[in-house]
Amino acid sequence: MPQTRRAFIRTTGIGLLSFYVAGCKLELTPGEARQQEIPFQVLQLDQVRILEAFGEVLLPGSAAAGLAHFIDHQLNAAPADQLLMIKYLGVDPPFTAFYTQGLEALNDTAKSAHGVQFFELSVDQKAALTGQIALANPDGWAGPPAPLFYFVLRNDAVDVFYGTKQGIESLGIPYMAHIEPPSRWGE
Amino acid sequence: MTLPTEKVDVVIVGSGAAGSAIAAKLAAGGKQVVILEAGPERGNPDLISSGIWARRLKWSGEPVLEDGENPVGHVFNAGYGIGGSAMHHFAVWPRFHEEDFEMRSLYDRGLDWPISYADLQAHYDQVQRESGIAGDAEKEIWRPPAQPYPMPPVPRFAQGAVIARGFEKLGMHTAPLPLAVTTREYNGREVCIWDGWCAAGCPIGALANPLTTDLPIAFTHGAVLQANATVSRILSSDTGEFVTGVEFHDEAGEIRQLMADLVVLAAFTVQNPRLMLASANDKHPAGLANSSGLIGKFIMSHSAALVYGLFDENTSCHLGAVGGQLVNQDGYGKNTHTDAGAFGSYQWMIAPAVKPNDLLGMATTRPDLFGNDLHSFMQDAAHGFAGMTAVIEDLPLAENAVTLSSTLDRFGTPLARVTHTTQTRSKSLWQAVLEEGRAIFEAAGAREVWTGPQAAMHIMGGTIMGQDPAHSVCNTYGQAHDIPNLVIAGAGLFPTSAGVNPTFTIHALAARSSEHLLNHWNSIVQ
Repeated sequence: MPQTRRAFIRTTGIGLLSFYVAGCKLELTPGEARQQEIPFQVLQLDQVRILEAFGEVLLPGSAAAGLAHFIDHQLNAAPADQLLMIKYLGVDPPFTAFYTQGLEALNDTAKSAHGVQFFELSVDQKAALTGQIALANPDGWAGPPAPLFYFVLRNDAVDVFYGTKQGIESLGIPYMAHIEPPSRWGE
Repeated sequence: MTLPTEKVDVVIVGSGAAGSAIAAKLAAGGKQVVILEAGPERGNPDLISSGIWARRLKWSGEPVLEDGENPVGHVFNAGYGIGGSAMHHFAVWPRFHEEDFEMRSLYDRGLDWPISYADLQAHYDQVQRESGIAGDAEKEIWRPPAQPYPMPPVPRFAQGAVIARGFEKLGMHTAPLPLAVTTREYNGREVCIWDGWCAAGCPIGALANPLTTDLPIAFTHGAVLQANATVSRILSSDTGEFVTGVEFHDEAGEIRQLMADLVVLAAFTVQNPRLMLASANDKHPAGLANSSGLIGKFIMSHSAALVYGLFDENTSCHLGAVGGQLVNQDGYGKNTHTDAGAFGSYQWMIAPAVKPNDLLGMATTRPDLFGNDLHSFMQDAAHGFAGMTAVIEDLPLAENAVTLSSTLDRFGTPLARVTHTTQTRSKSLWQAVLEEGRAIFEAAGAREVWTGPQAAMHIMGGTIMGQDPAHSVCNTYGQAHDIPNLVIAGAGLFPTSAGVNPTFTIHALAARSSEHLLNHWNSIVQ
């Protein structure tokens, strides 16, 4: 995903996905941000590639729903404004190292076992490795506890796919909001 | 609201359930009240219906370090911003039982409270009238002596009916869950629409949280609330005999002082002892008002016993309140599961409204699933999911404690460290109750039943009340034994945890304390 446009993300106090592109303010869903190739602020492109591949194993469709932009946006917010579920799970902020070290460990494990990067594994190989890290640290794993990393990323994928109005209603459940989320990703 | 610069009657640290309740009472009693809240200001329009956005209501202040085998889950259980944890609480408001106040005397376990249920009953009744609770007193056969509920019970939706079938087949009883949620118009508050967004805050005022109940009363009577004001130290007199105010950092990080005749600590179970320990001085070298050496000790947290199932019927599991629809307290007797080496009380909260995501969402109940298996499960669960949670009593242990870390926060105050390991008999109770829950779901006809891990729910203790200053921190009104014009409020006062949710008892204690403070004001303040 090349960074072809000069842009930056303005992180608001409540985590609104507002993007400033060439002086214009855009409010986008994570999925729209991905489609428009909005540059990342925290994650590197190689990390994004691993993250999206991992997300697709955890919950197919999460990459297109903007998993990487969602996480990147939250990591760029002030700790008190971050909305990632990891904040519940005994990990002290800032959370960037948790994500980047986990992605690196996942990729290193893939390379160690199969000689290729995680996103280059076959579908079955990705699923097998994911099932492995869900249970325990693979040999040589050098990131945060692998089962916790799996749990956190899986829930992030659920957030972007099923945690929105669109996602909840896709299950046949009425959203019934008192106050609708103001960002597009809440729709 | 402008923060006074002169000495005030009362400064309250924290705007959660306890702080707001005391603020309302004391302000209505004619006292000049200032509330300092570490988190941000919010109003009802900020309470967005979203499990993701609701995370703003969880603790985001200075980190709390956790260790022990069963951490208390501080971020999830604590609150941040006006209203504190009461802004995301589920409004399940049962009363403690009579025997909960006499644990040591009756069972030779845990601790005795310095008051009985009878001492608190009138205050429970008072709070019940003021805040409004929906329930069915007749069907709640375990309920201690009390006035009837002021509102009719919460409705029973399909999920509740399905699970109740299992209880009935096993000869067990269910009743509507007592909820501080409106089932009819109450004191001008709208009626709940059972949308399941309780934990995201309730902007329509159906759920009794501080923004709806106590803070408007406090403000009407002139109370002032300052948000983004982090108290770092309690100030005391040269003699150490009384407190004189607090030191705090404002939003700009500037250090300020506010002097007051009475200081009320209502900053939740962890921050209260942290502040007292961090306010040590030459007259109180082990921490302010800590002659007992017990500040921070006897931290308790209920274990949650989580049971889930899939049914062939449509359970409409998105409808209702997050706390649930029904309650069962058949196992409230302390010795129900002695055969399993267990001790303590528990209650089932049955049929909570659930959303797909977040920590209590459907997806999280099956962390083993991923890929298309997870999608399939979500489609299935959206129509046939059911769940219930047991609140498991946690026996008090002195070694479960809040202590100060050597790490300092941005203002130079030591961070809190919370150590918690569940007592062996309490853990056995959790295990035995899980098995009971499994049997209930099987009897109800679930085609699939599974359980969740031991999870921490509510945080109590750490500044316990008692008659003996050598064995407790506060008296029955929350006044520190060593410093009468320093008052502690909240669940930190609890000597035991009981097997029910704490918020109603927090309110009852706050009402009792407030009445005492107003009636004895001149003898308490210097």
